[in-house]
Amino acid sequence: MNILSPKYLTIRMSQAPTGSPFARTEVLADGTALVTIGGSWTLDQPLPAIVTKGDRVRVVTEGLADFDSSLPAWLYANFKNVRQLDLSPLPPRLQSLVQIAEKASSEQAVPEQTGFLEKFGNWGVESSSSWGRAFEHIGDTASGFLRMLVGRAKVNWGDFTLQLQTAGVDALPIVALLGFLTGLIMAYVGLIQLRQVGATVYVANLVSLAMTREMGALMTGVIACGRTSTAFASQLGSMNVSQETDALRALGLHPVEYLALPRILAVTLMVPLLAVFATFVGIFGGMVVACAGDLSIEQYLTQAIRAISFKSFLVGFIKSIAFGFIAGWAGCYRGSVAKRSALGVGEAATSAAVLGITFIVIADAVFAVIFNLFDL
Amino acid sequence: MSAPADILTCADLAIGHGQVVVMDRLSFSLAAGKILAVVGPSGCGKSTLMRALGGLDEPLGGRSTLMGVDLHATHGEERAAILRRTGFLFQGAALFSSLTLRENIEMPMREFLAAPRKEIRQLAEYKLSLVGLADAMDKLPSEISGGMAKRAGIARAMALDPDLIFLDEPSAGLDPMSSGRLDELILRLREAFGTTVVLVSHEVPSILRTADFCVYLDPDTGTMGAYGSPKSFLQAGNSPKAHAFFTQARID
Repeated sequence: MNILSPKYLTIRMSQAPTGSPFARTEVLADGTALVTIGGSWTLDQPLPAIVTKGDRVRVVTEGLADFDSSLPAWLYANFKNVRQLDLSPLPPRLQSLVQIAEKASSEQAVPEQTGFLEKFGNWGVESSSSWGRAFEHIGDTASGFLRMLVGRAKVNWGDFTLQLQTAGVDALPIVALLGFLTGLIMAYVGLIQLRQVGATVYVANLVSLAMTREMGALMTGVIACGRTSTAFASQLGSMNVSQETDALRALGLHPVEYLALPRILAVTLMVPLLAVFATFVGIFGGMVVACAGDLSIEQYLTQAIRAISFKSFLVGFIKSIAFGFIAGWAGCYRGSVAKRSALGVGEAATSAAVLGITFIVIADAVFAVIFNLFDL
Repeated sequence: MSAPADILTCADLAIGHGQVVVMDRLSFSLAAGKILAVVGPSGCGKSTLMRALGGLDEPLGGRSTLMGVDLHATHGEERAAILRRTGFLFQGAALFSSLTLRENIEMPMREFLAAPRKEIRQLAEYKLSLVGLADAMDKLPSEISGGMAKRAGIARAMALDPDLIFLDEPSAGLDPMSSGRLDELILRLREAFGTTVVLVSHEVPSILRTADFCVYLDPDTGTMGAYGSPKSFLQAGNSPKAHAFFTQARID
């Protein structure tokens, strides 16, 4: 016995197989459609097509060999809407498999074709409600923060300390690598230009100012979006799928306060610290290139310290706080509105990173204008 | 016709999580076309036993065979071929969350049958109709109730006309009408195709209606408390614990 044959254990009808399945129809004198079926009906071969008219159908067999669920499925699909269906000539076990299938109460609705204008309108409505939810989430976070300050919010502090570790300490190696390379690249590109005017010493100003005011915070914010926002979106999205957020609501806990707030706080706290770290590592990266030929270490450091002011640090620091908040919020927001499916969680993670990076760049532009106005 | 072969056997089987043995010295066999109910208190290892028998988890000792083959010593295409001839309903239904119910049922058919798209669609609709979900075919798993998800899981387990179906608490979350229909479906499938069924259940009336044999897992001794026909458990004397399990539930 070949145990790999698909059906060795299935009980079959006693007749020998008589080839491909067939079905033919004839109309009797009283208007009844007589459908004759026979042959071997199995899932792995094409089934016959049939056209019947009228409300009365009688099905008979002629040399019916073995069958699997393809035959009751075929009978069900073809005759489920026939008013007077006579299956009595069929073997009882086949009859019962057709009769037990429940009919749909109505035909499945075919989705209507939508025109361009309607699609555009739907997109507009969907987008505006999505923005509405986004601002609602920001509002919930802000009110949760205020409630926390007055001691009325239930916050999961265990999550907070865990996220300090995962969003902060665990990110040190990647922040160090990317910060170092950013400083290195800026120094390399800067030196090529500055050599032409004999001002290579200003490469220290270029790197240190850019890292302090701009690149330290920006790079760290982008890393936080790629690393932390996606993780938050996946965590909260999965909790949505398994109804854990519903369980929190049922306990009278607010998911934004309990889950999102500690995460957003942790990342808002850690990104500025990481940004300061990235700034110093970036300045060091620039020094490696600058001191490889053009400058001495003393020259580079003296020039760098002279270039950086407290104001520059303040600018970078304020930005990094905002970027940290954006990264945390984007992840928590997208996770909280994730669809309840594996695909939905994946989409949430992707959109969290995209949303976070986009908002960080927009915020950076806004900060540039504001700091310019205040002469910072 | 010769006597049906044992489709499922286990000899001195030990099961558990990690290296922790939950049940051992499990020895029984099941003939093709029979329905076996695995019963016992919650957490005694019923689902773990079913996963080991179905080849999803490695046993911690002993041997089990499925369709004459020791799945734990078989690899590659031969193992995959055996697994394709079994259907599995998981406790949480385990539907693919991004696919509609119809697509969930069609998925194994598309992967393993050469049938045209229209026939696969017909088959999926039929199988969903068998479990009373004719009206919910285009819904996503997140849009249906737990009981409906269970029924859809059963339809997917039946997708490829398996010779053996493992059902983990099929009646849990179902209303009495649906539960009764499910019992009837199990019996009709066995009658029509000789499908063997192994089910984990706490529903004593359902077990009495459908099962030919019953394994009672006793967490106190860590092994089989009794093996026999469900009706024999209704009489005192066979196994006091199994008897109490059945009759207590009947009184409740």
